Amino acid sequence: MAAAPKINAEPTFRDVDRSVLRVMEPAGLAYWLWIAFCFTLVAIAGALWTRQIYSGLGVTGLRQPVMWAVYITNFVFWVGIAHSGTLISAILFVFRTKWRTAVYRAAETMTIFAVATAGLFPLVHLGRVWFFYWLLPYPNQRSLQPDFRSPLVWDAFAVSTYFTISLLFWTMGLIPDIANARESATGWRKTFYSVLAMGWQGTDRQWRHYSMAYLLMAGMATPLVLSVHSVVSWDFAMAQLPGWHSTIFAPYFVAGAIFSGVAMVITLLIPMRRLLGIEDLLTEWHFDNLAKVVLLTSLVVSYSYITESFMSWYSGDPIEQMMFHMRYFGPWGYMFWIMVLCNCLIPLLLFSPRLRVNLTALWIISLFVNVGMWLERFVIIAGSLRVNFEPSQWGTYHPSITEIMITVGSFAWFVGLFSLFCRFLPIISMTELKEGIRWLRKALRMDRARAA
Amino acid sequence: MSSGLQSVRHARASRKPQPVESVAGARMQTVGVAMIVLGIIAFVLALTSGRAAIAWEAYLVNLLFFLGVAQGAVVASASFYLTQAKWGGSTVYRLGEAFAPFLWVGFFLFFGLYFGRTLIFPWVTHPIAQKAAWLNVPFLFTRDAFALGVMAAASFAFIRVSRGEEARAWTIATDDIQLPPHSIRVLAPLVAILFAVVYTLIAFDLVMSLAPVWRSTLFGWYFFAGAFWSALCLLALTAAVLRGRLGEDNLFTNPVVLHDCGKMVFAFSVFWIYLMFAQYIVIWYGDLPVETFFIVQRVHHMPWSPLSVACLVLIWVIPFVVLMSVRTKKSPIILGTVSALGLVGIWLERYVLVVPSLSLDAIPFGPTQFLITIGFLGAFLICSVPGLNRVAQAATSGEPVGDDEE
Amino acid sequence: MSRIAIISSFAEEVQCAHAIEELRAAQVTDFKSFSPIPSHRIEHAIGRTKSPVRWIVLAGGISGVLTGLAITIGTTYEWNLNAGGKPLLSWPPFIVICFELMILLGGIFGFFGVLGLSGVPTTESQPGYNGRFGEDRFGIVIRCDETEAERLESLMKESGAEEVEREDEAQHS
Repeated sequence: MAAAPKINAEPTFRDVDRSVLRVMEPAGLAYWLWIAFCFTLVAIAGALWTRQIYSGLGVTGLRQPVMWAVYITNFVFWVGIAHSGTLISAILFVFRTKWRTAVYRAAETMTIFAVATAGLFPLVHLGRVWFFYWLLPYPNQRSLQPDFRSPLVWDAFAVSTYFTISLLFWTMGLIPDIANARESATGWRKTFYSVLAMGWQGTDRQWRHYSMAYLLMAGMATPLVLSVHSVVSWDFAMAQLPGWHSTIFAPYFVAGAIFSGVAMVITLLIPMRRLLGIEDLLTEWHFDNLAKVVLLTSLVVSYSYITESFMSWYSGDPIEQMMFHMRYFGPWGYMFWIMVLCNCLIPLLLFSPRLRVNLTALWIISLFVNVGMWLERFVIIAGSLRVNFEPSQWGTYHPSITEIMITVGSFAWFVGLFSLFCRFLPIISMTELKEGIRWLRKALRMDRARAA
Repeated sequence: MSSGLQSVRHARASRKPQPVESVAGARMQTVGVAMIVLGIIAFVLALTSGRAAIAWEAYLVNLLFFLGVAQGAVVASASFYLTQAKWGGSTVYRLGEAFAPFLWVGFFLFFGLYFGRTLIFPWVTHPIAQKAAWLNVPFLFTRDAFALGVMAAASFAFIRVSRGEEARAWTIATDDIQLPPHSIRVLAPLVAILFAVVYTLIAFDLVMSLAPVWRSTLFGWYFFAGAFWSALCLLALTAAVLRGRLGEDNLFTNPVVLHDCGKMVFAFSVFWIYLMFAQYIVIWYGDLPVETFFIVQRVHHMPWSPLSVACLVLIWVIPFVVLMSVRTKKSPIILGTVSALGLVGIWLERYVLVVPSLSLDAIPFGPTQFLITIGFLGAFLICSVPGLNRVAQAATSGEPVGDDEE
Repeated sequence: MSRIAIISSFAEEVQCAHAIEELRAAQVTDFKSFSPIPSHRIEHAIGRTKSPVRWIVLAGGISGVLTGLAITIGTTYEWNLNAGGKPLLSWPPFIVICFELMILLGGIFGFFGVLGLSGVPTTESQPGYNGRFGEDRFGIVIRCDETEAERLESLMKESGAEEVEREDEAQHS
């Protein structure tokens, strides 16, 4: 339930600024210990990666036939996490959704760091990482060029475009906010914000171009976000491997991406609003709507599981059917059923309006979704590989400590960067919150009516 | 303040609204009946003169198309509730529900397929052993009839609540973040979820099974997304037509409303091409004969390839290019034309999905199929009469709309 | 005769938009507004045409598609390799690349276009800017001759300005 109001019942522009800027005041020891903890884990992962580069991929558990496993799972998972940010910042902006204003900066920040995390994994997975630039076309004396018919090349283009565009879009949104923060800051922060704000002063001329460009960027980010996870899904769907080759993969991966991403937004925002004391800016109304997005995408994901299973049965193709039989009842069957529990069944609880605004319950559900979606990627990627066409080649896979620690490190890297951002840049868009201040007022009124 | 819309709104509130009671009446019904009679004559003639296959093809194509449009429109209304759309007051909700009576007509026409089953479903005459558990006549007709029946019943339960006073009050309460009434919060998601499930089933059973070897997991999604888009086209077309027929002071003269209709037509046209491409590229790349033949027949073989290209042009190229600008989206003539062409496009797409599976070598389109189509259109028009009158009343009632400051 | 600047600040967006309309009605054109949020009302009151940044984005998008075509087709001819029996010029994959580059260049053009058009980054401060215009006040800065100042000041006050200040241009130059 809503904590004691820290701001007016009818917040003004001033109140919004005060609440958001207070978050950016110098942090205490606990915060820095937390940051140190995160980056220690990153350092461990970095050390293990260094060892892997030195001695080769043998230090991982990757063996024939399972050559794509935890690393690629992480890649797909993190790209997926990124998608909710663009959904909230761009797609819902195009649709003029009212509740997005308070949530979007945090979600978009998550996008940036999630893509930055995801982008590392194809590199981590490379045997000779120092040749990563071979993916890009560049003139060379032997006339060697990447094959543009390979989905892995599309991926390089899609993910780097996604990162660039998200970064630009995010920066654009930040400029007026940083200019605002500049006005009340002191010391080195004043210089820091002044440089970042680039002299923005919010004149009519600036806003005129800004609004138009912002709308256009949102309009372009919308198809982009669909394309990125589609391209990621095509890394698999283009192959003829049963369990991978399926036309539904593109929209199904996009839905799964948004599903896991919004769950991650909820996972991060619920503790964050408490720790940073912004309960009055992120109201139950906002979480109610986020929960609905989770529910919707959960249904889409369930629809896709069912369609895929049906089609493998309907096809009458024995290899296809064997693959699905192994997925459900093989040695890794338990993962599939945990995934069904986490992704299809538990989110159904969100049909209850009371649970959608019960933040503890919502937080726990979001954790289940995170686990379920990670498993989903693993089941699809590694699970399909271990049962290929030739039973004599069937094998299994166990992640090594290197892979486990690099995975843990990737979470630490993501959470660490996000925590750093929270304290130094506005985690809630003051500009947009002010623009939609009447919705915030209504939401607060609704919360308080419910609490009373 | 003198922001444009605000003053228009004030001006409108001060004027006494004079609701238009009827835009569609006896004449439309007469024309509709005449069209149905023509259709029935052509159908019966074809059955008795040995051209039964041609008649059943047209019957199936039109059933799929008109049922899809009518259902998609109801789903549009439901999704306006789900997204809490206030941009068109109660009128756009009435607009979505206007075509619903055809759902029951379609439901009964579905049983007609039973009499043409040997000519429609190749697996009835040449059963496929591995798929017999799914593709057999009793099971197929039971499950599809049940699905369509539940879908129609749910749609009507939804419409009844939606036309109620409580829901109407919610749709015209501007500047509000309250959720719609409880019964709507139950029925609107139900209708939307059922739509996805039922139309996937219909796509698999009534289209995919015509080429029983073929399979594509995305096909159901692709099929209902097309149906939904055709419904959006119909809404935009109706809005553009009614704009000129309801006098000076109706909702559709507000350019914001047409603009929003145009945006939806644009957006879901792009979504359609996305699904279409997602399906195409996977099949193209995998290059498995069991998947590719369906595409090859339609895209690379004469006489079908020009029709496939025409679908692409009507459903994606034209809406994308023309509706990119704000000005064209707000123009009733341009938006209406693009939407009408879009409806033709989806009809053609249904035709190209169904017919090559049954008659690959020649396009059997002729007077028979044309008149059967006319017959279906007549039935659809008659079904829409009461609904369109409700739209007219709502659009001219002078109720407040919109929640944006612009 | 010296030019002066009249700086007025408003608490409400509506008042500011109204004041701008009054100014335009009074044939005053040399003014600037500041606001903490992008305001359609103010934009509407000023009544400018749509920002040309959309043409910049369009140019970026088109050049992106062309770049995509050039590198996919160009490299295919440079490294002529039959992979998986696919045609040499395989359009479906090339569409993916062209699409990504269209968005990429469109976005980059748009971002730098908006910076260029709105005159950032800059180290100069606009005359009359006040920190509160970034927070919760809407401002209008009018530049006029001294003779007109009296009249415009009262116009601003009538439109609901909280504060109206006068500043000598000479201080800025």
